[in-house]
Amino acid sequence: MKKPNKKRKIVSYLVITLSAILMLTPFVTAALNSLKSYSQYTAIPVEWIPNPFHWKNYLEVWQMTDFAQYGLNSMIVTVLSVAGALLSCSMVAYAFARLDFPFKQSLFLMVLGTLMIPPVVMIIPQFIIFKNMGFLDTLVPLWLLEWLAQPFGIFLMRQAFLAIPKEYEEAAKLDGCSPFQTYWRIFLPMCKPQLATLTIFTFMTKWNEIMAPVIYLSSEEKFTLPIGVLSMSGAWFGQEQYLVAAALMTLVPILIVFLFTEKFFVKGASSSGLK
Amino acid sequence: MAFILVLAGCSSKDDKEASATSDGSTTEITLGFYSSGSADEKMNELIKKFEEQHPDIKVKTQNAPYQQFFQKLDTQIAGGNAPDVWLSDGVFVQKYAERGAAKDLTEWINNDLNKDDYYGLDFNKDSDGKYWAVPQGIQIGALFYNKDMFDKAGVDYPDDSWTWEDLKEAGAQLSIDSTGKTANDSGYNANSVKQYGLTFFNITEGWMPVLKSYGGGVLDEELRNSIVDSPENKEAVNYIVDGMQRGIFTDPSDLQAFQSPMAPFPSQTAAMRIGIYARALAANETGVNYDVTVLPKGPDGKRFSPVIANSWIISNSASDEKAKAAWEWIKYWVSEDEVQKEWAALGEAVPVKKSVANSDLFLDSGEKPDNKQAFLDSFDFAGTLDVNAVWSEWVKKFGDNIDRAFLGETSVDDSLEQADKDVQKVLDEFYNNQ
Repeated sequence: MKKPNKKRKIVSYLVITLSAILMLTPFVTAALNSLKSYSQYTAIPVEWIPNPFHWKNYLEVWQMTDFAQYGLNSMIVTVLSVAGALLSCSMVAYAFARLDFPFKQSLFLMVLGTLMIPPVVMIIPQFIIFKNMGFLDTLVPLWLLEWLAQPFGIFLMRQAFLAIPKEYEEAAKLDGCSPFQTYWRIFLPMCKPQLATLTIFTFMTKWNEIMAPVIYLSSEEKFTLPIGVLSMSGAWFGQEQYLVAAALMTLVPILIVFLFTEKFFVKGASSSGLK
Repeated sequence: MAFILVLAGCSSKDDKEASATSDGSTTEITLGFYSSGSADEKMNELIKKFEEQHPDIKVKTQNAPYQQFFQKLDTQIAGGNAPDVWLSDGVFVQKYAERGAAKDLTEWINNDLNKDDYYGLDFNKDSDGKYWAVPQGIQIGALFYNKDMFDKAGVDYPDDSWTWEDLKEAGAQLSIDSTGKTANDSGYNANSVKQYGLTFFNITEGWMPVLKSYGGGVLDEELRNSIVDSPENKEAVNYIVDGMQRGIFTDPSDLQAFQSPMAPFPSQTAAMRIGIYARALAANETGVNYDVTVLPKGPDGKRFSPVIANSWIISNSASDEKAKAAWEWIKYWVSEDEVQKEWAALGEAVPVKKSVANSDLFLDSGEKPDNKQAFLDSFDFAGTLDVNAVWSEWVKKFGDNIDRAFLGETSVDDSLEQADKDVQKVLDEFYNNQ
């Protein structure tokens, strides 16, 4: 009994290790590329290990652009977006999952329907609306929409709320909870994995977003990180090593957020399979 | 925020000839440009100097990375919020002109600029003789060659007597596979090339100069019809495909193997490249020992050098007052020696003003290549990339088809026939609906 088990364990560890190495390769290559000079970067045959290492690239990137300012702007946009998404999506989703009101089903279908509209189609109308509201060249258009409950988040949270047995709701009612209190005190804490998922998704999308910031922002001091990074590579220049270094630097916050929410994230992914 | 309201309100009111200088008020204009690395700093410096010279004009800048800049611009134009003056890649000037976003500058250019003093004004002229933009800096093609590689192979440097066939012959001696054989040796392995004779990259620095010097091209003179399926083009494309199959030229899949399609020449993996002026920057950065000469002749002695005149455009929706201020900026840019010199020193583009381009400042800047005169000589046989309002669209259609022939997936005849249909369709869809 024990032997095949051990064998299986070895095989699965082998597979996991191999795929981990495979996944890590692009990341390691990028890390090495970020430490090269341009001639090392373009050298054929490829110089995998830069010799010497150009640690200075990171310092130069930091000096070449207003990295700290861009980072702060990105942080403002992302944090406000995440807060908005968590609050608005869960509230709307709670209503769809647990409350009764007229046209509930058709309204929900409409929400899902908007998922099918490609974002590109909405750019120009949105631009005109924000222009008339006087929000051009401010960070507002970049996070405001997240406070208006986006369909993906609604769907995700609704599924989570639907899975909670009705008894909880009834018990809360008996104890004198209003619908809002039920939502806030009973249901939300039970959906931490889904909230973590939504946090990571929103964080990543907003942190990496390039289209909207480019369209709405004009003053350099309001740029977010992705524009700042891209600005370093002009139409004519070949200095990709700086781009890679900058890209790696922008990765750090995502890694941090992921590490903090990972516990819930993994739980959410596995429990969704069980239900 | 107040500024945006002003902008929105401005286009409707004040049509009278308000001369900003006389009443002492200031005009604020927005100026858009795409970022190009360290050049941004110089741009901002020049803007500051302009403001000092013109105390009645204030410049607010808008910049973004190259690709995103044009996405943003399209949105801004659609949303009625375009910058008053912007820098356009030369290949997009007609797109803005024919869609009504650019202001017709013909009269101002005729009155204020002596056309013989500048390179490239005519590259922005449409078939009706109207001017839509004023060049900011010029990119023009020449043949870059790696002197060390030529010396090592014992091949004479290219000169103005070369035809494309000469280039291929020399290229064969300069192509080396992993076992050290050249493309002329039997048993040369075209699948494991260590050093290419010529690197070849899409339109400007690839097929367009070859097609045109063979007497072919993509569009007719009116730029409304495809002339892709012509015997001249067949000959030219056969020449290219042969070079690729023999492992002398890089084909599209070879280029994918590099970290960037621009890398083969600066990384010394290719002995020659067709390159616009800006390619000198990367080559200088990696310290290649190279020079340039004019591009080779076609079989009938015809020569062609691709040209892109990156240009200033004034928005058609700018108010008269702002348009005038923007015109001051353009005049300052092209005619002030100081500005032209400062910009030329960046080594990004050939200066627009002839007197500066022909001075030591450009020709003898101390940076490689030595023979910068070759770029100026190329103006004699320079032409645009058949630029019209749907340039990006037809380039994509043509490129997709021609790449199949380059990769040996279809015959040259078939790919040109299909490209002809696809390109014509793109043209018809736009021009027949106008």
